[in-house]
Amino acid sequence: MKKKLLALLIASTMVVGTLAGCGGQAPADSAENTGASEGTNASGVQALIDATEGTVELTVWASEIQQDLTQQLVDEFEALYPDVDFNITVGACSEAQAKDTVLTDVTAAADVYTFADDQINELVAGGALQPVSASYTYDVAGENLSGAVEAATVDGQLYAYPSTASNGYFMFYSTEYFTEDDVKSFDQMMQIAADNGKKITMQIDAGWYLYSFFKGAGLDTGLNEDGVTNFCEWNQDGGTDVAQAILDICSNPGFQSATDEEFQTGIAEGTIIAGVSGTWDAEAAAAAWGDNYAAAKLPTFTVAGEQVQMSSYSGYKLIGVNPHSDYVGWSMLLAEYLTCQSSQEKRFDTYQEGPANAAAAASDAVKANPAIAALAAQAEFATPQRIGGNYWASSETLGSILAAGNPDGTSLQELLDNAVAGITAPVSE
Amino acid sequence: MREKYDEEIKTELSDEEIDNLDVNAMIHEQRIREKSAEKEKRKQQRKESVQSVGRYFSDAWEAFTRGDVWVKLSSVLMGAGYFARKQIINGLLVMLAEAGFIFFIAFYSVPFLADFGTLGTVKFESVFDPVTLQNTVNDYDNSFLILLNSIISIFVIIVFVIFYIANIKNVYKLQLDKESGKHINTFREDLNELVNDRFHITLLTLPVIGVILMNIIPIFVLVAVAFTNYDQQHMPPNSLFTWVGLANFKSLFSNSITATFGYAFGKILVWTLVWAVFATFTTFIGGILLAILINHKRVKLKKMWRTLFIIAIAVPQFVTLLLVRNFFADSGIVNTICSNLGITRLLQNIGLVSTSIDYIPFLTDPGWAKFMIIMINIWVGVPYQMLISTGILMNIPSDQIESARIDGASNWQIFWHIKIPHILFIQGPALITDFVKNINNFNVIWLLTQNVFITHDQALASSNAKEVDLLVTWLFRLTNEYYNYKMASVIGIVVFVICAVFTLITYTRTIKGDREEDFR
Repeated sequence: MKKKLLALLIASTMVVGTLAGCGGQAPADSAENTGASEGTNASGVQALIDATEGTVELTVWASEIQQDLTQQLVDEFEALYPDVDFNITVGACSEAQAKDTVLTDVTAAADVYTFADDQINELVAGGALQPVSASYTYDVAGENLSGAVEAATVDGQLYAYPSTASNGYFMFYSTEYFTEDDVKSFDQMMQIAADNGKKITMQIDAGWYLYSFFKGAGLDTGLNEDGVTNFCEWNQDGGTDVAQAILDICSNPGFQSATDEEFQTGIAEGTIIAGVSGTWDAEAAAAAWGDNYAAAKLPTFTVAGEQVQMSSYSGYKLIGVNPHSDYVGWSMLLAEYLTCQSSQEKRFDTYQEGPANAAAAASDAVKANPAIAALAAQAEFATPQRIGGNYWASSETLGSILAAGNPDGTSLQELLDNAVAGITAPVSE
Repeated sequence: MREKYDEEIKTELSDEEIDNLDVNAMIHEQRIREKSAEKEKRKQQRKESVQSVGRYFSDAWEAFTRGDVWVKLSSVLMGAGYFARKQIINGLLVMLAEAGFIFFIAFYSVPFLADFGTLGTVKFESVFDPVTLQNTVNDYDNSFLILLNSIISIFVIIVFVIFYIANIKNVYKLQLDKESGKHINTFREDLNELVNDRFHITLLTLPVIGVILMNIIPIFVLVAVAFTNYDQQHMPPNSLFTWVGLANFKSLFSNSITATFGYAFGKILVWTLVWAVFATFTTFIGGILLAILINHKRVKLKKMWRTLFIIAIAVPQFVTLLLVRNFFADSGIVNTICSNLGITRLLQNIGLVSTSIDYIPFLTDPGWAKFMIIMINIWVGVPYQMLISTGILMNIPSDQIESARIDGASNWQIFWHIKIPHILFIQGPALITDFVKNINNFNVIWLLTQNVFITHDQALASSNAKEVDLLVTWLFRLTNEYYNYKMASVIGIVVFVICAVFTLITYTRTIKGDREEDFR
């Protein structure tokens, strides 16, 4: 008798939930869309509520910046299930460092945490991600952008809930100097910058950006099947042409290899009029350039006399569930709530982070944001970042040598061979 | 006349020389005798220590065989001997300890110790049920917990064995005391002893427990990890790691980990030692000079100068270092000033700065970065040394300096023959500690170069190393960014051995305790 009353109460709560947000969206169709899901979802949530006794203790890690919104969403989530006694703590852990903190001791890490998609392989290998084998309140695989779902998938298994889709890079520029046609070609941009005594920038001595040249020219690098070591084609045919192209760019008077801080200082001082960076610099660029602030996909660059479209790493923020959580079910429901359409829209409204949810991303407000529009245009040339730890030091050094104009005069083939040897080095058995 | 005088002098001199020779020979002989005596003594000591270990066990055996039935019973029921001599509470406490030990071993340690040889065989498996939203997890082994708990258990066993042997001897002593009619302590009297005759035991118990828990057990775990394959691909709880013997040590000294691991290790080791020598002695000498300068008669406002330098200490080091890192960045304020003043151009003309760049690569070129790190370290470290030297200089007995002055010693001679030996004598041990500290000086190197310095040496990059890395910063990067715990442990052990060897040599060679007389 009591159980029935409870069930009724919950059913009515779900209806309210549907009205309030996305916590209780009709789950029937989502079961069909997520090929992996086996159970009927409504009964799953109901069974979970019935089976829950005592207080549900959960910890959520979100970045320092997003604490307020996360707390607000957690409160909303708690209100969705009034019959369950929650004690949900929100802690701070930046997306970029989630891997380090979580893998130090998986059993002691948060139940639900945010991380950047490049860490997904190591997190899966470290057993820190609960496979998303079923969804309950919305269709995780179906409602998010395919790129985001791909970024959250390892070996065909979805492991996390996409939260934002704006962690990639693209070209910022000032319309004071460039037209929309100018920003289609790197050479044209450097020419204009040099003519005006200004600079356009990109960080060459960082593997994250260096990738875009080689990948653009069709020379790939990425993770092997073991999930730890890398393959790299940079020293194959055409590799030296790309290296020469980078050398040429670096020696151009209109170009400077600049870090994030230097880019921000440069645009504030007016010495930098365009540069490759990501949404984290959007505010600074908009402040410095005012009405002239604009963004576009990455331009083409010249390799052995031909124009080649630059590629890039796409970037997503994902929310994962710790399989060692005492309340895996509730963690999954919470992760779903934190990444549902309305939560993603709130995240865009508050922090200008592009939604990974297809419907949210298609809204006019999102499309009107130049940085996110540029990312969307770049999306077809972007790939998720799937690379093992040995990539970074070697690619950084290669980029650094090229940015310095190859001071030792080592042959480009040898430079590439050394870099590839480092990138593809075996990880100690 | 003149010749004769000369001759006289000559003979006089030669007499003196002969005397000197005699004296020298005597001293020499005596030294040799002392040395051989010392050798003999050491041999004796060594022999004694071996004997004492033997005696430790034979005493226990003797106690057991010669003891009465109660002593023999104590080898099973440890409190028996106390009950027989009416020390009921002592007996109960010992029985309690024994029961606790047996309980601990049987119910807690055995499962871990049983797996200690393999560090676990059952891998983590988890199945998610989408209907109940629950994970079903198998009964898996966690290699790290097995390792940690096994080491703790082994420790407990060793401590218990020591306790057990002491107990047998104690019970036998009680029997002898009883037989010879001596007074046997009541429990209250035993407690009283703990605050009187045996107060050292009361005082030391807590610190010893602390040292074992906080230092010794973690060190043993670290050492053990060096003999396993604990790394990114073998991370508990989801994967198992296991023993691999000396494989990690072999790969450290060969090139099998990354193609260039041995190369990187050698290069970093050399720079670590160079850095430690420079960092220690530059701040040491700089601090002394600064202290002498401030103490000089003609310097006005001594207290103000001292305070100014101490303020530099009051600011947290990492704040200072991060600020300095920004000052000396390629587009930082120092570079702007240098280029405005034409210093950058000047250095380019001399050839210290490449003409292809229009800034001074303070922290981005290997040579410059090493130089700057040492200079910045002087600036950060000198105030401490200045404080210490000031204290020592003020406490030099003034009679020594006065008598030196009366004898006509110059300022330089006073400095070199009185002040410096005095400082060195007092600071010698601190200097060695400083050296070891500098070998492990993480802060300065990491904060000044992380995210700033990019190596141009592709071989180093292949091993995730940089020219400016110390062993300890490299270790940190290897473990923190690449989860290579096993190699981190190996390098940790090697660093420890280097530090230990160096410390031992310098301690015994230069500042033996008995050199005090030489100095005085």
